[in-house]
Amino acid sequence: MTDKHIEMHGVRKSYRFFTLDDLSLSLSPGEVMGFVGPNGAGKSTTLRLAMGLISPDAGEIRVLGQPMPAAQAAAKRDVGYVSAEMHLLPNATLGWHMDLVKSIYASWDADYAARLVKRFNLRPEQNARSLSLGERIKAVLLLTLARRPRLLILDEPTTGLDPVARHEVINEFMDVLQDDSRSILFSSHNTVDVERISDRITFIDRGRLVESSNKEDFLDRWRRVQLQLPAGAALPALPNIVSRNQDGQFVTLVTDRFSDGFAALLGPHVREVQRMTLEEIFVANVMRHREVRGS
Amino acid sequence: MNIVTRKLIAKELHVNRLLVGIGVAAGVGSTLVAALGSTGFNIGSLTWLSTIIGMGVILSLYGIMNERKEHALEFIMSLPLSIADYVRAKIIGLALCFFITWSVSVAAALVMVFAKDSVPDGIAPYLVLISVFMLANFGVVLCGTMFARNEGTTTLIIIVTNMGVTLFMFIVAPMPGIREHMWAAAPVWNSAFWTVLACELAVLVITLTLPLVTVARRRDFM
Repeated sequence: MTDKHIEMHGVRKSYRFFTLDDLSLSLSPGEVMGFVGPNGAGKSTTLRLAMGLISPDAGEIRVLGQPMPAAQAAAKRDVGYVSAEMHLLPNATLGWHMDLVKSIYASWDADYAARLVKRFNLRPEQNARSLSLGERIKAVLLLTLARRPRLLILDEPTTGLDPVARHEVINEFMDVLQDDSRSILFSSHNTVDVERISDRITFIDRGRLVESSNKEDFLDRWRRVQLQLPAGAALPALPNIVSRNQDGQFVTLVTDRFSDGFAALLGPHVREVQRMTLEEIFVANVMRHREVRGS
Repeated sequence: MNIVTRKLIAKELHVNRLLVGIGVAAGVGSTLVAALGSTGFNIGSLTWLSTIIGMGVILSLYGIMNERKEHALEFIMSLPLSIADYVRAKIIGLALCFFITWSVSVAAALVMVFAKDSVPDGIAPYLVLISVFMLANFGVVLCGTMFARNEGTTTLIIIVTNMGVTLFMFIVAPMPGIREHMWAAAPVWNSAFWTVLACELAVLVITLTLPLVTVARRRDFM
């Protein structure tokens, strides 16, 4: 049996106006994967496939070793799923929801739940209908985290939260990772949050996986290089250039394979080599992907 | 039946407790009104019918459509259950909620029929038939709402099933074997009664089991 928490091989899911195609990814225990893509890229579809809420047209999905969606009831015993859109039952209080989840999961940690209630400033007697957006997301997180799942699948959980609430929520995810047998698949288009907690990043765009690598690897490889060429000089042929902008003598290059050798090829023309943020890498990567695919 | 399914059935009873309470009160209350003479009988009967029909519609709309529309379904489906578990829990839970209102209202109406001298006991078989028809009607609404993926389809199902009650009255009330005994002093449980009842129960069984073998096997539930 596989020890991966999530394994997807050649997954395809077609809708009328959108196709998620040939998606393969894996998530190991103790790993946090940031799943980053623009709106409509296929992030939620991928996460719903992982939860067994929809079935793939082709390919294979295993979550905690269980085939999905066939064994979703068994797999979901140890999976916590939170999406930004998720609501609690409007006619019941948070306390009632806590009792419900507690009665289903033997792993429910009542002390941790009580701490989260305080930390998130929630009131168990409050009706779910009257929760604000931030309270709602924190309530769902409380219900998910307090049962200590081995795998967390989070679909844009910080969307719409104010900076303080986002900070609180991200801190809780960091706490989860104290236990290295647990893992998180975290989808977002907010690269700041993803950069903060992820150790592996997967970019997706228009239903296709663009690139998947360690966060540090992305940040180490990608550079923006500014050059000033002598008048009339041409830029030498260079490998691994993602984008190039020229304004007279001034050239800005983006590379995804920066090394000392790359800098040596450019010689004395280099004015500045800049590290790129994850957001800049994400945008450059997606734009290159679209160019390659001719769309 | 696993523990999650049982918890979800209990959940339906919990979240719909106020609605069920109102339904029971309205069902019994309208029966009391129906016992207050001929005008009261007309008003009470209409209110009684509306209560039971309305209860079925609200339970289906609120319990299925709204749960989906308001994204509470995502929370439910994050629990360790399969689509089949969900469909089973939803059908049993909502049917129980409806059955509480329905059974109390029908029992109250039957007591009223047999207790009031001014209402002939012969109407009891017809009352049972229209009551079971409304039970089957609820089954159709519930089944249709489980199948429907949008509000438009659900609204259409509700309109058609509401028209069904009127059609039932037009078709069954004048039926030979029903009509001639309706105003009799004692109820007549004849073959016409049993035939109609069997048809109604067949519809009920089909509509309550159909989602378990169709919706429960959907590849995409959300």
